[in-house]
Amino acid sequence: MLVTWKYRPRDTFIQRLDPRTRFIVLLCTIFALTIPEIWDYRFMVPLFLFSLTQFLLARIEWKDIRRTLFFVFILVFFIIGLNGLLSGRGGPSAALDPTSPIIFQALIPGTDWGITITISKLWFAMTQVLRILAMALPAMALPYTLDPNIYGTAFKRMGVSDKVSFTMDLALRFLPTFSHDLTITVDAQRARGYEVEKLKGGVIEKIRKLAPLIIPVTMQSTVTGEEVIDAMDLRAFNTAPRTWLKELHYAPRDYFMIGLGVAIFLACCILKWGFGIGGFFVPDFFTKFILG
Amino acid sequence: MSQSPLVIETLSFQYRTRPEKAIEKISFDLKPGEMLLIAGSSGCGKTTLARCINGLIPRSYKGERAGKVLLHGKDVSEMQIADVAQTVGTLLQDPERQIVASNVFNEVAFGPENLGLPREEILSRVDAAVKRLKIEHLLERETFNLSGGEKQKVALAGLLAMNPSILMLDEPLASLDPASAHEALEVFRSLADEGKTVVLIEHRVEDAIFAKPDRLLYMEGGQVKYLGSIDSLPTAINHREVKLPAEWVVKRVRQAGKMSPRVEPAAQEKRGEPLVVFENVDFRYNDESPLILQDVNLQIDRGDLIAVLGPNGAGKSTLVKHAIGLLKPTGGRVLVEGNDTKSMSVAQIAHSLGFVFQSPTHMLFAPTVREELEFGPKNLEMDSLAIPRLVSESIATMNLKGFEEYPPLGLSFGQQKRTTIAAVLAMQSKIMIMDEPTAGQDYSNYTHFMDTMCKPAHEKKSLVAENFAATLFITHDLDLAVTYANRVLLFGDKHIVADGKPEEVLKDFDLLTRYRVRPTSLLRMNLSLFSKTKQFLTAEALAAYA
Repeated sequence: MLVTWKYRPRDTFIQRLDPRTRFIVLLCTIFALTIPEIWDYRFMVPLFLFSLTQFLLARIEWKDIRRTLFFVFILVFFIIGLNGLLSGRGGPSAALDPTSPIIFQALIPGTDWGITITISKLWFAMTQVLRILAMALPAMALPYTLDPNIYGTAFKRMGVSDKVSFTMDLALRFLPTFSHDLTITVDAQRARGYEVEKLKGGVIEKIRKLAPLIIPVTMQSTVTGEEVIDAMDLRAFNTAPRTWLKELHYAPRDYFMIGLGVAIFLACCILKWGFGIGGFFVPDFFTKFILG
Repeated sequence: MSQSPLVIETLSFQYRTRPEKAIEKISFDLKPGEMLLIAGSSGCGKTTLARCINGLIPRSYKGERAGKVLLHGKDVSEMQIADVAQTVGTLLQDPERQIVASNVFNEVAFGPENLGLPREEILSRVDAAVKRLKIEHLLERETFNLSGGEKQKVALAGLLAMNPSILMLDEPLASLDPASAHEALEVFRSLADEGKTVVLIEHRVEDAIFAKPDRLLYMEGGQVKYLGSIDSLPTAINHREVKLPAEWVVKRVRQAGKMSPRVEPAAQEKRGEPLVVFENVDFRYNDESPLILQDVNLQIDRGDLIAVLGPNGAGKSTLVKHAIGLLKPTGGRVLVEGNDTKSMSVAQIAHSLGFVFQSPTHMLFAPTVREELEFGPKNLEMDSLAIPRLVSESIATMNLKGFEEYPPLGLSFGQQKRTTIAAVLAMQSKIMIMDEPTAGQDYSNYTHFMDTMCKPAHEKKSLVAENFAATLFITHDLDLAVTYANRVLLFGDKHIVADGKPEEVLKDFDLLTRYRVRPTSLLRMNLSLFSKTKQFLTAEALAAYA
């Protein structure tokens, strides 16, 4: 089975929270960092710790999450981190400060093209990694800790329409079917001597050579899609306002977490817009540490 | 105004995209508690008729419709979809694609939730539906992990929760093993006895008559060819189009005086070195999961045409995946032409063994049939000068001449199926393995397909015997094993419980029943005539001996 993550009921603080609380707190964290454009490490570190605490409180077994963690860390460190380090783009313009001391430079002889790593770019790359992890960690825990049957209800109870809320349920329902179809197709093509691991050529060529997998799976999904639409029509979906059977109730811990999330968001907005605190800067201790 | 639950008056329909009418001038009516069996081959208009009754036509499928479909006196085209959904409950062919919720409770509650009913009402309807079908124990289960039979019951419970007065069952037996199909038919009968009007669409008339339908409607070319009692079927009903009980076929063939000449049993081929050997094979997915194969011993020899029977989920597919190397044993070993599969890649094994999966859409992808067939040989790095010859030979063998430049996905289902076999032929594999070769095809198409593949013709060997040293197919259609195989494996309880000639393995009815294989009329007749025939034959061929 290609879908390796799995929800499992656990008696943890995080799983006792109302699903809405978890989405709201996650949104608060993302918005707190993105809307007022926070780049200050003094905000970033507490927010990262807040997210890390939630992640650890979820108590997901190491064997379950190690693959996902590995891929997310590769993505965050090598793609986002390296990109920040080398280009300094994707964030505030202050990260590209031309006066920042250069730590390393390798230019093509006779040109000013090449790699230039400055202290501000290095600091930016580090804060960028921390920032992304602060947003990703609670989101990563969701598939392991949130009952797949509750997504639709949670969205509905947050005011989303019947159609969009049920789409969430439907996507999760058909994920194993899709994965099953893909497994069969991979097996069917392997039995014809096709070896995914031996694909040669450039990126475009490699994608083209994935056609034996992509086309059958797309065809299966299209056929499934049509049948599902028929099945839903035949059971009167979207003909009247829907009753969502599952009820959700906030407990005091939910009010506490939502309060905390909203307070973090508001604090970031007020400090940034009201007091001008929270923008990008390289702290002196870091410059001193690097330059010795 | 008629108060019959369902009245159809001179109904015709033509899809917007098609040049001819899909159904024409169909009329009948049904009473409460009546069960109508609709039979006919692919394209006869059964599904179109069903869509007209459940309101998908004209809502979702556009075209020209004439005549009337009245549900309790109201024309379906003028009713709200929510009202139609509460009158006609439709069970689609593949419950896997009909179930829209991740767990059973949500699935059964889905319809009533859509109607916006009060919470208490929904709960009581869910409770009544699951109790009615005795599936209370499944309520907390994930729908994806249910067996085929369980999925169908859950889908049916979802319909019953809408309190429909008419149940429309569109080929409900297609994805079930024989014992589950039998249980499903019992449920359908009991629902009719409780007053539901049941429309059962099924081309396997032999199986469907177990539910004791009151009438049969037989369709051909979009028209009603016969509508009446099931006991007095006229000869107008072609026994090659729908599956009738063996006794009925024999009677018809004898009445028509069209008996085939008696045939002598074919001599057994000389054997030689075994092609595939399983030695004490165990398999489990990981250390924590239970064993799926346990101490499996098997030898596939030249000349074998093996049918693998057994309940769904018993591990039949796991067994054959070991032969092609898609799975490697966790204990024991599998040898393909003397080589241990543990030290071979799937691609290396593919030189010896070709695998045809159940559904052609799981493997067809190329823009033309020719490129589809070149795919395997190219992957196996076969001589590039020989590939065009192999491809055209395979095309000729599988009767696909003229389709070389057609997109495989644009072909008919039967042609797609033949393309998948041609793809294996082009790889020059010695052994062919087919998983449910007849799935998704109607009786007349799959009989034609299997006859072409496995039956000798005009003094020549069968197509599979001519091209492959051995063939193995997995099926839950016992009659395929009876008609086409020269060896039967019965698989259950993680290992092979019986292995031998069809007449040896299939005479033990207790054993068959224990592994959810139901003896059929064709098997019974073959066993009773075996002293004369010395081999198993089709119902038509048996007419010469009866």
